[in-house]
Amino acid sequence: MRELALYLAAGVVYVGLGVAFPEVLFSWVEGAAFLLLAVVFVPKLWERVR
Amino acid sequence: MSWVAHDVEPYVIQKHLGRRIAIVPLLLGSYAPDMASKWFVYGVGIFGLELKAAEPAQFHRGWPGVGFTHSLAFGLLVGALLLLVFRNRIWAVSFVIGQWAHALTDTLDTVGTMLLFPFTTHLFSLDAWAYAGQTGRYTDAGAYFSGLGFVWDGVFLVWTALSWRVLTRAYFRETVVPADPLWGKAGRYLSETTLVAVYRISFFYGACRWIAWLLWAHVVRSFAFDLSWGGPKWVPAVRSEELNAQAGACSTCHCPSCGAASPKLALAAAVAVGGRVATVRSQRRARRSTRRR
Repeated sequence: MRELALYLAAGVVYVGLGVAFPEVLFSWVEGAAFLLLAVVFVPKLWERVR
Repeated sequence: MSWVAHDVEPYVIQKHLGRRIAIVPLLLGSYAPDMASKWFVYGVGIFGLELKAAEPAQFHRGWPGVGFTHSLAFGLLVGALLLLVFRNRIWAVSFVIGQWAHALTDTLDTVGTMLLFPFTTHLFSLDAWAYAGQTGRYTDAGAYFSGLGFVWDGVFLVWTALSWRVLTRAYFRETVVPADPLWGKAGRYLSETTLVAVYRISFFYGACRWIAWLLWAHVVRSFAFDLSWGGPKWVPAVRSEELNAQAGACSTCHCPSCGAASPKLALAAAVAVGGRVATVRSQRRARRSTRRR
């Protein structure tokens, strides 16, 4: 459930960014980097900081 | 052209073919036809220079141009090369299936694809939604997400959502990893969480883009919905008949893709495919119930 919530939150932020700055929606690489950052690297960093 | 289906179709194919297919070459095949051409279709500015194809639709789908990347033969050729280089049959077959899915999906717009190149440069099109790449990417986005194109993408998103198990970690571990040694090698350096995220990227990208473009086109901007066949009619669409006539490929052609029979043909094809899927499913169910007994 935690994993699903993380993906949903990432999705909501990405959609928000995309609507505000549609340029980001054209790049698969930026989309991929955003997802990895949101569901892998940031949670890892958060766990380390805690 | 299709904006989201090329991201999502591979997951539906993966769900139905399981271990007989590898997702990485499947996605590569699905993206391959547009990889080197899209930027030149929409145009790009480099050091104050505007680089753009003089006739974007002709360049993207026709000949002369890079339209051969949307032919069935191109998929077979690259698949054969992959087989020769990597000696991996699953990789070759997966690439071919992905590329064919792209080429067939793009026949749904008004320009269509040269499916049978190099035997003919004829563009096969079902005219379901307008091809408007020549108008620039924002108008194209507005047009695509106002016509039947976004409906087609939506069907595949719903289909993937109904096949949600294909996106789970258990499915990745039990079906995706054993089908392709690449995941095992990557697993030596990356955690499973990272690999699963990499596996899900295209679905995430496709689903989010579908929602974001719809919101952008109809909330931020006010493009008008037009779900008629070949629509939206408010955008100047390029049509296969014009390009075929220019190329002299079909000045007297009466094939369904050049005539008004397109909607009927598409409906007949959809009914035929639906009927076949229903038959296969009922046969499977019958086999399963026989085994249980």
